Amino acid sequence: MEANELAILIPVLPILAMPVILFLGQLFNGNAKWKGFWKEGGTIATAVMAIVFLLSLWLIVGHVSAFSEGSGDDVVTDVGNWVSYQLFTEHGDMKVQELGFGMQLDHVSVMLLFVASFLCLLISIFSLGYMNTDKINENRNHRFYAEFVLFCAGMFGMVLADNFLWLFIFWEIMGLCSYLLIGFYYERPSASYAAKKAFLTTRVGDIFLFVGLLIMHAEFGSWDFAVVFNAANIGAADAGLIKAMLLLMFIGAVGKSAQFPLHVWLPDAMEGPTPVSALIHAATMVNAGLYLVARMFPFFAAPAMAGELGDVALLIAMIGGITAFMAAAIAFVQKDIKKVLAYSTMSQLAYIFTGLGAALWFVNNGHDELAFFAFGASMFHLFNHAMAKGMLFMASGSVIHEMHHAHHHLEHGDDEHDEDDDHHFDAQDMDNMGGLASRMPITAIAMAVGSASIIGIPLIGGFWSKEGIVGSAWKAVMYDGGGLFIIPAILVLLTAGMTGFYMSRMWFMTFAGKPKTEVAANVEETTPFIPIPLVTLTIMTLGGILFAGLNFAGWLGENSTHLSLSHAPSHLWHEITHAFFALGSDGHIDPFILIITWTTILLSMVIGPFYAMSLYGGKLAKGQKAHWSIAWIVVLSGKINSSYKFDNSIWAESGLSTALRNRLYFDQWYDALMLKIVVPFSYAAAWFDRRIIDGVIKGIEAGSQEASRNIRSLTTGSARDYIMMAALGTLALFLLIWGVA
Amino acid sequence: MIDPSWVAGLGVFLFCIGLWGAFTRKNAIIVLMSIELILNAVNLNFIAGAVQHGDATGWVYTAFAIAIAAAEVAIGLAIFLAMYSQHETISLDEVKLLKH
Repeated sequence: MEANELAILIPVLPILAMPVILFLGQLFNGNAKWKGFWKEGGTIATAVMAIVFLLSLWLIVGHVSAFSEGSGDDVVTDVGNWVSYQLFTEHGDMKVQELGFGMQLDHVSVMLLFVASFLCLLISIFSLGYMNTDKINENRNHRFYAEFVLFCAGMFGMVLADNFLWLFIFWEIMGLCSYLLIGFYYERPSASYAAKKAFLTTRVGDIFLFVGLLIMHAEFGSWDFAVVFNAANIGAADAGLIKAMLLLMFIGAVGKSAQFPLHVWLPDAMEGPTPVSALIHAATMVNAGLYLVARMFPFFAAPAMAGELGDVALLIAMIGGITAFMAAAIAFVQKDIKKVLAYSTMSQLAYIFTGLGAALWFVNNGHDELAFFAFGASMFHLFNHAMAKGMLFMASGSVIHEMHHAHHHLEHGDDEHDEDDDHHFDAQDMDNMGGLASRMPITAIAMAVGSASIIGIPLIGGFWSKEGIVGSAWKAVMYDGGGLFIIPAILVLLTAGMTGFYMSRMWFMTFAGKPKTEVAANVEETTPFIPIPLVTLTIMTLGGILFAGLNFAGWLGENSTHLSLSHAPSHLWHEITHAFFALGSDGHIDPFILIITWTTILLSMVIGPFYAMSLYGGKLAKGQKAHWSIAWIVVLSGKINSSYKFDNSIWAESGLSTALRNRLYFDQWYDALMLKIVVPFSYAAAWFDRRIIDGVIKGIEAGSQEASRNIRSLTTGSARDYIMMAALGTLALFLLIWGVA
Repeated sequence: MIDPSWVAGLGVFLFCIGLWGAFTRKNAIIVLMSIELILNAVNLNFIAGAVQHGDATGWVYTAFAIAIAAAEVAIGLAIFLAMYSQHETISLDEVKLLKH
């Protein structure tokens, strides 16, 4: 049996698992065995995710090895027909059109399938520890697991779909599940507010996306990738409409991937349980927008559109640059550990948008080689970011979970949950942490590695891809017509340094120094299951160098290439010389890129962490020892902190800092905008409805009432009146006949 | 021999008197009498037509009309009796049963 024949099970199994978990959960709610062995549905969810992961792996290995043997091609498996309809063609004859579901496997979808299935499996394992040991979730975990599997199904389906309609359907399934999961603690007003906000904000983008897809159908008569990506079809379509379509689709991606100006939902989405944050912010939903933009590549590459779509690509890079910078700035001042990660996610996704913008610009202007490089770097960054961010969220979840438990042990001596009590102690506030490096060694190491990958410390995960994105953005500046790329290029370069600061700040505030509260001094890393995904992902992130050696980025960038183990050492050498010395394939060193590279490394690895250490670093309390691999960081931070500490109160109390702490007042602006425009419009619409539409109907009704009352008064009941009327009527009739005659 | 048009003219005159009586009088019996006048006006009209055209159909219709009018008077008086026993009046201004 071929893997492709079973591939349909990847989205279908989780969809089927959802009603099963919900039904069993309702049936056995509170049952001891259901809570014990079945983990309130967690066991089913994990088993399904494990099967899905194995299936995906089978599929992926088949795909990769087929390419390595030289027989590889994009595989499209037609699964079935959903609905048939007929269209009139221009010549007046009928054409049968089918909306079937099929699965397409190419390098990018294979990569995303791996990311999604791998992380979904790890997150479901993490949830077994995180969700089932918290009293607040008791007897409703089945709801979490049911929504979780449906969410994963949405991602798998979206990645595998071979047409834009099914991509959109699964896209919306994810939107629905994110709403359900963010609002998991619906009894909290803030959570239900955040859920609504996330749903409505992404819907704004979705509407644009849908209009874009309708334009696509009007132009191509189909949503199939095979049809719409065909260069001849693109050539036959109207260039202006294609441009509008791409812009509308990009707005959809902006909403889903939380980019400026539709980014406001992402920080609030932290109201959901932490596994949800990991799921949304790393594995699935936010990558959907990137995937959509990546899928636009053939439109930009089509010869008919050459040079036409530069503005769109520039806009994508611009939005990326602005969001990267803005989110990093806001992350500077956040106290909530999950909020820092949320803004970091926005910032890193924006990097990928910038890289994709550069790739699309290059390919549209005929620089294919550079386009493939930038595209590959962007997709590789997506991979690295997903792995690192999934781990960071799970590590932060571990910290929050253990802080929470320590707090309850201290206050009550037991794990009893007291709702009122939680309001006095914020287990997510980094001001309550500190010195956790010795108390939570696995989490601390995981978080250090994850942060290093996000910062782009050389040789670790994100470094390989981030260099490529920054370099591509700068290269675009040097080409004719790409001058405006200077803005995103400068912004992403600065953001590299800012990332170094805010990620280090988060790590040092949490793990270094002395415990800032008694709770932090009593934290213990004891919850089962949580370390499994942390360790796995730490290895995965450190293994970034292996992926770089395999030319993973190049593989993602160009569909005809293959992964090769035997070339790995030489290619790794090529990557290193390329990354550190800007040595091109022609053997020449590009001095400009060399400067950019080392500026990035200097900013992100030295200056950012240095300032974070001097402000937030510190030695651990006496008698506490961290694991050797991170102990030196803590000691270094303590030294820098004691020798270079400076007073940052001017900055911390400045208006800029307040503005950043209030997220640049975006929520207030949007609220004001709503109050100034939408609410008056709604009132006007309500008035129009009440007075004009209802008024006309009510007027007709009142008029006929009035008329019938008048006519009714003729009915006197007196026989003589009737005779009179009959006589007059007859007379009138005669007069009429005579008059006519 | 009288010209048939004079007979028809008398018919119109009687019809108008009958109509006026039916509209204006309050007493139900006088209204019934007025209606009889109208009927007889119509009979005169038939006869005038029959004489004019030399056709016996008009005479025959008149005979029928007189017979039916007699029956109608009997029914009308019976209704007024019943009305009187119900409402203790035969004034048409006070009896308004022809609604609802």
